[in-house]
Amino acid sequence: MEDAQPTAALSGQIVQLEKLDGQLIERMRHEALTAPAPWKAEYGEFQSGGWWTTSLMNASGEAGDVRIGDCTARPTALLGHMPATAGLLAELGLNYMWVRLARLEANAFLWEHRDYDELDQVERHRLHIPLHTNSSAFLVTGGTKVHMGGGRIWRLTPTYAHGVCNLLGPDRIHLIADVYADDAYTRLANRAKEPTADRLPAASEADLAERLAAARRLADLGYTGAAEQMLLRLFYSFDLPEGTAYDLIASLHTALGDSEASTRWTAAKAKLLALAS
Amino acid sequence: MPTALSLAPAELQLAELTEANRPAQLPLLTRIAELLSASAAVTHLLVRGSLASGTADRLSDVDFVVGVHDRDLPAFTAALDDLMTVAGGALLPGWRDTIVADLGGIGFVFLVQHEGKLQQVDLYLAPASQITTVRRKVSGKVLLDRPPTEITTTQIEQAETHVAKLAARPKSCTELLIEHLVLAVLLHKRIQRGQKFVAYAEWHMLHTATKDLIKTALALASRFWGWYQLREELALTPIGRTCLADLDAAITSPAVPTAADVNAALDRVLALTERACPNALDGLADAITAYRTYLELA
Repeated sequence: MEDAQPTAALSGQIVQLEKLDGQLIERMRHEALTAPAPWKAEYGEFQSGGWWTTSLMNASGEAGDVRIGDCTARPTALLGHMPATAGLLAELGLNYMWVRLARLEANAFLWEHRDYDELDQVERHRLHIPLHTNSSAFLVTGGTKVHMGGGRIWRLTPTYAHGVCNLLGPDRIHLIADVYADDAYTRLANRAKEPTADRLPAASEADLAERLAAARRLADLGYTGAAEQMLLRLFYSFDLPEGTAYDLIASLHTALGDSEASTRWTAAKAKLLALAS
Repeated sequence: MPTALSLAPAELQLAELTEANRPAQLPLLTRIAELLSASAAVTHLLVRGSLASGTADRLSDVDFVVGVHDRDLPAFTAALDDLMTVAGGALLPGWRDTIVADLGGIGFVFLVQHEGKLQQVDLYLAPASQITTVRRKVSGKVLLDRPPTEITTTQIEQAETHVAKLAARPKSCTELLIEHLVLAVLLHKRIQRGQKFVAYAEWHMLHTATKDLIKTALALASRFWGWYQLREELALTPIGRTCLADLDAAITSPAVPTAADVNAALDRVLALTERACPNALDGLADAITAYRTYLELA
């Protein structure tokens, strides 16, 4: 892996915004780890399992309502148990569409995907505040790996394909705020700074052949799900052309003689990457 | 004979209490059993140890004998690290278990994260042709008993050869480093339980692993067995002398370690690895960070 440095490949996909007070972040972390949150598994098609969210502000005011959409967000009862977090959200003065806590367990993944496909009419932005994280939790976009460290607000522009993982744990917890563009947001965004990132290595043909053979070995033993996950994980290890992991899974199933599964993964690629059909 | 529970009056609501007293490892045991049994190559699953005998505590490991069709044993062994990493949540590749009794198979120990805790999962892979013998020697609970398809004499011989080759293969520096990490988990458990005699034995194993790591890194072509001629072979260079000083610190520590002694030994071995065989750490940095975090949370 090359040295950590800002990379052109990020091209504004992920930037650092405001730095936050360390003691405030510690209080927010304590709240996130101890508040009585109704964690929900949603967006199952995007993830390995282990991605849980709970709402702090949303349309219904119910914390368990986590499938996001355009709305005027109001606080949930859960946010009432989190005064430090509520204080920061108020202080930022943003026009919130939805605010969630997102928990990614160890060995859990949000697979390579594009967001906002169904929400493309209004300018909106996604802000992350990492509250509890570890060095094996990172985001990959454009072949680069970014560990979103604690202590500041980050902005993710998820129009490029990206994925998130927490390889080894413990749990990663982020506050995610989807906000509409307005003056308060513009003031925050004016302080954007490119983060340092690690360029992932390119995969050689030998690398891919070796991983494909290992996946085939698992599949031949009957561990098809593990074989698929092993190939999906390549997105987090190598700088691959978009959708390569899905193509490899489709190839694996073709080689196994399962054309139905191969077609299913080709369709999954189109859906997750929001490709024109 | 009726159990005490079955004699309880019907109005006593014991189900919730029983549920609350289930071993914390049961969900992990179930998950690993479901994972392994998904393969037709797996013919038998036996649980042994304290979870089988009902004497488990919160530190108990999850200990399986896995019967694998003799024909599939080499492929299964080759796929095991990938399977346990991807689907089992293992932090590190499996350590080839040198503590477990020889039952004609080969054992591996995995450190697995489960619900925010580090758990030890022991998998003893036994050729299906040996399962009847294994079951006579091992007292355990049978979770899966799937009669294998016909096993030929050739397949039995191939499985035996495979096991013998694996057992005879010298360990790499990476494998020896992982051995230290696994033994440190075992030692912390012994110390917490007050099992001094076992702690003594495993502490000695840890020092032996340190010696093996140094020899593998700096004296791979050594013609001398075990602990012999270490100074003559290693003290020729500054790096060799520093590693011998580390080994000296290890063997002159108390016979039965405290938790602080174990942590100091880990620090020493990681520094030694960085110095003598840094490639052994390739790809393990995040795993070691996570391992230490889980140890602190234990």
